[in-house]
Amino acid sequence: MDVRHLNVEVRLEDGIAVLDLMGEINGFAEEALNAAYAKAEAQDPRTILLNFEEVDYINSTGIALIVGLLAKARAAHRSLLACNLSEHYVEIFNITRLSDFMSVFPDEQTAVVEASGS
Amino acid sequence: MTDPKPARADADLGRTLADFSVPSEPGNERMAMETVAESVKDLGFAGEDLERIKTAVAEATMNAMEHGNHYRPEVPVELQVLATDRDLLVRITDRGSGPPPKEDADAPDILAKLEGVQTPRGWGLFLIKSMVDEMNISGDEGHHTVELIVHRTAEGGK
Repeated sequence: MDVRHLNVEVRLEDGIAVLDLMGEINGFAEEALNAAYAKAEAQDPRTILLNFEEVDYINSTGIALIVGLLAKARAAHRSLLACNLSEHYVEIFNITRLSDFMSVFPDEQTAVVEASGS
Repeated sequence: MTDPKPARADADLGRTLADFSVPSEPGNERMAMETVAESVKDLGFAGEDLERIKTAVAEATMNAMEHGNHYRPEVPVELQVLATDRDLLVRITDRGSGPPPKEDADAPDILAKLEGVQTPRGWGLFLIKSMVDEMNISGDEGHHTVELIVHRTAEGGK
């Protein structure tokens, strides 16, 4: 089975940097994820949104990478949000307590509206 | 990956649904989890129940490839999927030496990880334990085996 390496596109939406994640979030994703986060951060947004719509697999190494991004965001006083997680990964964000530190939204529109209003 | 062997009956363990191995190479946990998922579909596992099994198998296989076999491709991780009337059992065996990992490892502290006090890693065993009803770890001088147990309901799945 071929690994679907992560591709990330970065765009700005109402002042929010959106990272469109496509592929698997595992040990192979570190470089792409960190590069995309750095690109988003260079625009100095208050909020960065991780869009998981095209992600079908996250393993424990991927969770660790997301924890790393969250630590960077907190250190820079930015909000890190998540949207479009599957039901299973919402459960994993809950049991790991990631969702205590990054708000999880069902879709991008809800995330953008909430973040713009806060 | 070796081909799944034909199902066989075992008086003590129930039916063997799959018996295969994967080389210890990064990413092969997905192959393991998809093969296990396919083998348990006839038991009625689906949806979120199936996703939990897949995550537990993937994480246990990753641990076996990394910590047991040190990602040496020529050293396989062996997986056995068994079903009794009451339980689904998945056994994942590596060629690790030394004491097997502790089952009662503390839950990771995310705040300590965010503050840099703990490494961001270390979620594997916690995720496995959260996804299944029971997890047992055993080992001898040349092997570690993680056994995942999921109770079956009257409908078949968990």
